[in-house]
Amino acid sequence: MHPQLHIPDGFLSPQISLLLWVASAVLLGAAVRKTSRSDVQLNASQPILMGVLGAFIFAAQMFNFPVATGTSGHLLGGVLAGFLLGPWAGTIVMATVVGIQALLFQDGGLLALGANMFNMGIIGTLGGSFIARGIGTALGGSRGVNILGAGIAAWLAVVAAAGFTTLQLGLSGTTNVAVGLPAMLGVHALIGIGEAMITVAALTFIAQTAPDILSGVASPPQASPARRLATGLVIAGGVASLASLFASADPDGLEAVAEQLGFLNAGVAAPFELFPDYTIPGLDGTTSTIAAGVLGIIVVIVLLLAFARIARSRAKS
Amino acid sequence: MIADPRSIGRDARAAVVTTIAFVTAVALLPPGSYLALILAWLLLAFAGALLGIGPGHLARRGLVALPFVVAAVPIVFLRSDELLWAGTIGPLSLQVSGAGLRIALTALMKAWISVQASVLLLALASPPSIVTALRRMRLPAVIATSAGLTIRYLEILRDEARRMLRARTARSASPVGDGRERIGGTISWRARTTGSLVGSLFLRAYSRAQRVEDAAASRGATGSLSIGTMPAADSRLTLKVFGVLLLVLIITLSGALLPRL
Repeated sequence: MHPQLHIPDGFLSPQISLLLWVASAVLLGAAVRKTSRSDVQLNASQPILMGVLGAFIFAAQMFNFPVATGTSGHLLGGVLAGFLLGPWAGTIVMATVVGIQALLFQDGGLLALGANMFNMGIIGTLGGSFIARGIGTALGGSRGVNILGAGIAAWLAVVAAAGFTTLQLGLSGTTNVAVGLPAMLGVHALIGIGEAMITVAALTFIAQTAPDILSGVASPPQASPARRLATGLVIAGGVASLASLFASADPDGLEAVAEQLGFLNAGVAAPFELFPDYTIPGLDGTTSTIAAGVLGIIVVIVLLLAFARIARSRAKS
Repeated sequence: MIADPRSIGRDARAAVVTTIAFVTAVALLPPGSYLALILAWLLLAFAGALLGIGPGHLARRGLVALPFVVAAVPIVFLRSDELLWAGTIGPLSLQVSGAGLRIALTALMKAWISVQASVLLLALASPPSIVTALRRMRLPAVIATSAGLTIRYLEILRDEARRMLRARTARSASPVGDGRERIGGTISWRARTTGSLVGSLFLRAYSRAQRVEDAAASRGATGSLSIGTMPAADSRLTLKVFGVLLLVLIITLSGALLPRL
């Protein structure tokens, strides 16, 4: 089970492709200005570090680990790149990697490249990195908490990128959003757990082995308590809207298509299986569906917290 | 990568523009323009033959985009217009929509053709010359330099990753054979092992970047791709651009004039 986020040409309408090309170009232009400003480590070496780390992200995507028979955890690496290089430089690196995958490996289309850079670079890296920083700062900013924030953000980034991919396909008339969205979110909620685990483990390893490199390349600015609260609220809002995407999903349609496509096997292992048909027995209708969505998110976050705690206690011993 | 060694020092702008224009023209064809799509593929196959790439090889390379068609499958069963077939299979009641089938098939053909267009681009221009062409087309220096270096160090780091994966397999942290054998450790242990590999690959990449920086600084590098390394500008660029416009016109007109199914 691989992340299905590299949209080939032909699946997006020309209008949507163009719109996302413009959006990506504008935001990448902003990233270029940010990284060229002298207070953000501008020197001759910055593009060299970015280039070599681009090749690193590329190679790191080869690593996978078996979750169960036939299913494996993969790394996309957006939040990892953002954590190691800073959100803006990380976004440029990720967009470059996606571009090279399209040009040299035909992984994703050329006209669809704007959308792919948007989903994996802008949403997955820029958005993910700011969420990671937000969680880290809101919880006090220690190294362990920052890495935990990166883990949660890595999961959110993969799920959000999958959500945006599906919405773009839906707007292009190539997929049915009511069915495609829960299927894509469900599959990528699983893939995202692998992403989060690898991201946390990789950052923990680097923090243990070469703490000076991590503090040199990843030091978010200290924020005031008010700002911490604000970022906390923004993140809560983001999580809630993702939860509502889960909640608004049409479970019957999903299951019908899941059986045809073989998605159902993947879905069986999902944490949402705690709440059959996205509902909680005893509650009725919409309330139950939303409650199940929110609870699902909380379960995943608690699992991540537990995992990060284990990772940190190992790091200390 | 199947780059012609003679193409390295060439101005690849015409090739890049042609590929993007071709892919765009194909994307603009309305659903059901199968004949126009076949014509576009024939043009591509002809260009491939001129470059010494057989149509069979090209067609096979195009297949890499096919798994994504899963995304377009629901539309076949969920649109209720132009019903082709409705019935029940086991517990499921299904309907197949003609309009949905047309959208899915068109997307599939477009993806298949577009992939072959980028395969041809690689046959015409080497990866570094594509980056130089994009730099000439006003891609920001920091992106061009970073992309050029990513391409340069890609194989080195992928090779490093392959060796680390082989070492992991030898130490049983990944499944062997047909996957039915027991896998070592718990999921969290396997994730940690993989994360450590990613972490150590980062440290190797980071120290390589420092060595590259030192070497570049000692040669007086300024941090961006030097204009001096660019190949001479293509003198027939304008002519080629007109050719490309003609190509786009043929595909678009064929989409409008040829019957749709």
